[in-house]
Amino acid sequence: MSTLIMIDQASYGTWSGREALDMTFSLAAFDQPASLLFTGAGVIWLKRAQDTAGIAQKSVEKNLSAAPIFGIEAILADRSACQKYGLDETSLITGVTLVDANRALLDQYDHTAFAG
Amino acid sequence: MADTSPETFTLVITGAPYSSQAPQTALGFARAAVDAGHRIARVFLYGDGVHLASALCTPPSDETHWPKEWASFLEHHGIPGIACIASALRRGLVNEAERKRYALPGSNLLHPFEIAGLGEWVEGRRTSARTLYFHAGG
Amino acid sequence: MSSFDTLHILNKSPEHPRAAQCLALLSDKDALLLIENGVLLLSAGSLPAIGKVFALSPDVSARGVGNMVGNATLVGFGDMVSLSLQARRVISW
Repeated sequence: MSTLIMIDQASYGTWSGREALDMTFSLAAFDQPASLLFTGAGVIWLKRAQDTAGIAQKSVEKNLSAAPIFGIEAILADRSACQKYGLDETSLITGVTLVDANRALLDQYDHTAFAG
Repeated sequence: MADTSPETFTLVITGAPYSSQAPQTALGFARAAVDAGHRIARVFLYGDGVHLASALCTPPSDETHWPKEWASFLEHHGIPGIACIASALRRGLVNEAERKRYALPGSNLLHPFEIAGLGEWVEGRRTSARTLYFHAGG
Repeated sequence: MSSFDTLHILNKSPEHPRAAQCLALLSDKDALLLIENGVLLLSAGSLPAIGKVFALSPDVSARGVGNMVGNATLVGFGDMVSLSLQARRVISW
């Protein structure tokens, strides 16, 4: 049962992105196949060089970069959203696969969920 | 629409009472599922949904008391209601064990809700025919 | 009763970005269930041309849009349970 967890809200302003990451890491910890899909403003979670000290939150950049080590199968980002927010190979963290967030993509997964 | 064999559901509530319709919609679904002969394996509260487990909610007397409505339903049908520990602790929903562990001034988790980790969600999903999420709307 | 590939449950009003995302991913083998603020899609002028559209009756009544149901089918919670089992999978938007 492969799962796609979707994140469509931007980083740090709301907690649904963090909660989605916790869900995904939990699935991986229990050996359940899981991938992350970032769409809309959510793609900004994947930007390199996040300095969160000034807003008193922990950065998720290291966790996301280490996702494969934790057993997460793929970090997917919607191509057109990345374009909209000016993200390319040089500004994205490593390990991101650009995709078109379309029906064909969704159909590859048995289970799709948001954290909130 | 006739249903066939009984199925098992896991319900995840991420919207808080009095901030969203999530607890109300979820209860409507849960009641209908049980009435149709299905089983609810678990109700998992995540994110802001943990507020549904608060023993301190005090809505006006002419409003539905959502934690109590849910507590009554869970108890009547013997369905586990679990608040995710990470979400619950952050938002100040604690049971006696956590109150002691962190030397807090009080505890407020409404019986029969329990506190546990995301593993309960993973397990519920794995063993249920369908897992539905009740998020805050917009 | 026919079965569906995916049941999409949408509780966001047409103004919410996730509503557009959901609608963009519908296929003609799907069912769309509008609940909560999602029922406003009934009065927004255009229901999606693809898939079968359902709307949760209590939410329709609450918002006073019962006279705008159009081609959508009004359902209760019992039907919501049935729909979730008829579809191969459910996506809660």
